[in-house]
Amino acid sequence: MNKLTLMMLGATLLLAAPVCSAEPTGLQIMQMVDARDDGDDLIQHMQQRLIDRRGDVRAREMISFRKDYGRDSKSITYFLAPSNVRDTALLTWDYDGVAKEDDQWLYLPALKKVRRISASDRGDYFMGTDFTFEDIKQVPELEDYNWSLIGSETVDGHDMWLVEGEPKSDDLKKNLGYSKTRYTIRKDINMYVRVDFWDRKGQELKHLVSDEIKQIDGIWTAMRGSMTNIQSGHRTELEFSGQRYNTGLSDSTFSERMLKRGYRGE
Amino acid sequence: MKRIFNWVLTHPKSILLLLMLVTGLAVSQMRHIHIETDMDAMLPKHSDAYINKQVLEERFGSTDMVIIGIINDTKDGVYNTHSLALVQELTDWLGEQPLFRTLALNDLLSLATIKDIRGSDAGLDVEKFMDGVPETQAQIDHLKQRIHEFGVYENVIVSADGSGTIFAARPMPDSRHQYAEIYDLVKAKVAEIEARGGSERFFISGRPVIEGVFGAYMPAEMKRMQPIIMGLLLLLLYLSFRTPRGVLLPMAVVVVAEVWTLGTMAALGAPIYTITTMLPILILAIGIADAVHFLSRERLLAHYQAYGHRKERLVEVMHELWKPMLMTSVTTGVGFLSMLASDLPPIRDFGMFAAIGIAYALLVTMLLLPAAMMVLPSRKKHDERKPMFSGYVEWLGTAVLRHPKRIMAFFAILLAVSLVGIMKLDVNASLVDQFKPGDPLRQADKMLNQHFSGTTSLDVMIDTGRENGLLEPVFLQHLIDLQSEIEKDPMVGDSSSIAEFLQTMNQALHADAPAWKRVPESSDMAAQYLLLYSFSGAPDDFETFMTGDYRQAHIRINMKTDETRVVAALLDRLQEKTDNWFPAEQGFKVEWAGTGFTVYRLSQMIIDGQIASLATSILAIFLLCWLMFKRLLIAAIAMIPVSLAVSVNYGMMGNFGIPLDIATALTGAMALGIGVDFAIHYLHRYHEESEAGHSYEESVINTNRSVGHAILFNAFVVIGGFLVLLTAALYPQMKLGALIAATMLVCYLATCYLFPVLLGLGKEKIKV
Repeated sequence: MNKLTLMMLGATLLLAAPVCSAEPTGLQIMQMVDARDDGDDLIQHMQQRLIDRRGDVRAREMISFRKDYGRDSKSITYFLAPSNVRDTALLTWDYDGVAKEDDQWLYLPALKKVRRISASDRGDYFMGTDFTFEDIKQVPELEDYNWSLIGSETVDGHDMWLVEGEPKSDDLKKNLGYSKTRYTIRKDINMYVRVDFWDRKGQELKHLVSDEIKQIDGIWTAMRGSMTNIQSGHRTELEFSGQRYNTGLSDSTFSERMLKRGYRGE
Repeated sequence: MKRIFNWVLTHPKSILLLLMLVTGLAVSQMRHIHIETDMDAMLPKHSDAYINKQVLEERFGSTDMVIIGIINDTKDGVYNTHSLALVQELTDWLGEQPLFRTLALNDLLSLATIKDIRGSDAGLDVEKFMDGVPETQAQIDHLKQRIHEFGVYENVIVSADGSGTIFAARPMPDSRHQYAEIYDLVKAKVAEIEARGGSERFFISGRPVIEGVFGAYMPAEMKRMQPIIMGLLLLLLYLSFRTPRGVLLPMAVVVVAEVWTLGTMAALGAPIYTITTMLPILILAIGIADAVHFLSRERLLAHYQAYGHRKERLVEVMHELWKPMLMTSVTTGVGFLSMLASDLPPIRDFGMFAAIGIAYALLVTMLLLPAAMMVLPSRKKHDERKPMFSGYVEWLGTAVLRHPKRIMAFFAILLAVSLVGIMKLDVNASLVDQFKPGDPLRQADKMLNQHFSGTTSLDVMIDTGRENGLLEPVFLQHLIDLQSEIEKDPMVGDSSSIAEFLQTMNQALHADAPAWKRVPESSDMAAQYLLLYSFSGAPDDFETFMTGDYRQAHIRINMKTDETRVVAALLDRLQEKTDNWFPAEQGFKVEWAGTGFTVYRLSQMIIDGQIASLATSILAIFLLCWLMFKRLLIAAIAMIPVSLAVSVNYGMMGNFGIPLDIATALTGAMALGIGVDFAIHYLHRYHEESEAGHSYEESVINTNRSVGHAILFNAFVVIGGFLVLLTAALYPQMKLGALIAATMLVCYLATCYLFPVLLGLGKEKIKV
């Protein structure tokens, strides 16, 4: 998110303010969440733990680089562990809006080849985790949902907004796999700390919880997160560390050549 | 003893009140009765088939799926827009039903959910074969071609000739009590689709459906058979006594005994299994004998006016009868209790509660009958008509003496034929075979097995003993080898494992070249393929084939039959292979599970239990007879008719191709326990006749005259009672009914025809 957009959005909100009542609407809140400063680029370590119903754990370790290009972004992630997937790397070019499908390439060291990953449905699961392609986006495509503010509450001393989003059409519900989502958003920093998801049958499906939220380089960052599928009992735990924001990553970081070359330290 | 009898007779109202209270208590318990349809619950908890099934469900998810088949016999089979639209509709509908778990790919398999894996110009494409209903012929042809080339789902989801396709849907966990509801739900939906017309035919089966139908059949069967057997008893009682109390009192006795037994079962938390549904019939048919003996004796004494007062007469009846009644009840009870030698809970429960029911029947006879007779107004005139069949009984006494050789020859031939049959005796614990051949469910199952890979699951779980162990090329190759070994069996429709999918991915990543359809050459490569797959597939797509730590693999096998014979042959053949490919000393562990394996273990336990319970009951009954008659020779003779009858029973099963199953396995010990009563009555009387100094011929004639009628009545009730089971909806019950009826007939014939001949053997004639 660049600063220009941020300023423009801020201005829009200011202009809109007199028309609204004291409380913003659900959509406005989600726009504020979308507009939150998350740095222009980011380097971070990530530990992923996939935990099945029986408690068996598959752990992965990776390092990832991200850079924003206007409302689009690019990222590259290198697997560090387990050893059988070490040097596997994923390059993603993420385009804003639904008009253009994201591009993804995966480098498999065993085949020594870069594979393009075919476009997936937004409701498809990502990399064996409990996150779908829609979930791994920082913020969902706002225009696809009807947003409504359903209330406020206080959790751990923080004031929260509760915003529900319902996909606008049955096709979207089918595509996303959700009939409803509910975001719990901290009012002070415009960041969601919990998301609940309901499946197409209207049954509660998953919840996402963000933990250990602190400021790094002035940017609010969650150090841990977990997504639990309460129907299947499967859980994904994420742990982030070593964040460095706005280091000025070069464009060549996000190329096929770098994908093949692998991670060699910074 | 007389003191107790006197007390009973002086407090008739208290006794009746007490009986009513206990009965009321039993009725109040009966609402706790629950029905057990889970076939795995028929196994003892320590059986590996039971344990492995739990492990399988825990590790890889339940394999019990509702199967719906669509068959279209027109030229293109299901490959037409109309049929495919139905596939999409039914898939969407199943996905919306709260009674089904439809989270992962393997929860709901259909042509509209399965995913194709194939190589694209630069990568791996994983997408549904059907993305919406194909509209054009080109799209349909493409779908058909892809299914064929992919191979994994051919024959499994779509039949090889394209004439049919199936849906496999997983019911919600812990929804076993709703299986009948699930079946009704699916049936209603299918009926709605069929009503719209079209050339598609639908078939529903699968383990949950089979169990659901069992659950619905069982209480219905009990309710339906109760009035039939009661009607039969009323008729026989009327023919024997022709007075209201002669009919109603014995009925009251057995109904009370039945209620007490069911109440006891409920209070002890014993579930109703398919075979225990026969308990009420059993208690009615066997329990009635004591009451009949009591009333006949009472009437006889009243007729001769041997005792002035009713109370004295009743005391005399009770005193005379308690010993023989106790003895016959004990021998019958021992026959049933011998079933406790089996490891299978349904058989154990059946034996135990039948014995309890028989004890109740005796107790209620001794309390209710005298008390009721005291309370009811005395009737001056007892109808003293000659019982039916008196002519026959008279004739029998002299006839047997005239044709000893013919009789011997008849039984010798019967025995020889039976021995031949026993050699052919087979065992089969199939679940589907419990339904009659014409049952819609069995028909559906047959159709599905004809067109697809099969509705019976058999599962192999292989623990590699280490994390990532299943990614090793050698292991994966052995999985493939084992699968091709398994698929050599003509009754195996298909098998699948993670190795197959890895082969397909390998091929897809090498430009779909068929030569690359082989397991990845390194463990790292396999891991990376799975990672690559996870970008397109769901995290749980392979949940049913391997654990998340890549340590344990699962081969799912579909069989076209759950007949024991077939499964046993397959398991025997594979044993050597698995020992060789997955040696225990290298840390591998191979475990079997699934319906096929459960059936196999059930069969073994049926046979083992059969042998143990037969041996126990023969020995116990022999010892009881020895105790009773105090002579070894007589005890041995007493065992002859029942031993013969039991041989004929198994011989018939062998000759008519009736296999031992969970119900027919009961026949041996049951026939022994019930049939020995005839012999005891007969020998008891014969003993008294010869003690009184009568000659052999006179003794035979007199014995027939005095107990011949009672034995005949007894035989009628038991044979008639078990013939009622011929109306049962479930096959094993029918077979058991026919077998016991036939066996009891042999038992009767052996007692009344063969006994006198045997007793007349030797120069000295056997003195009893």
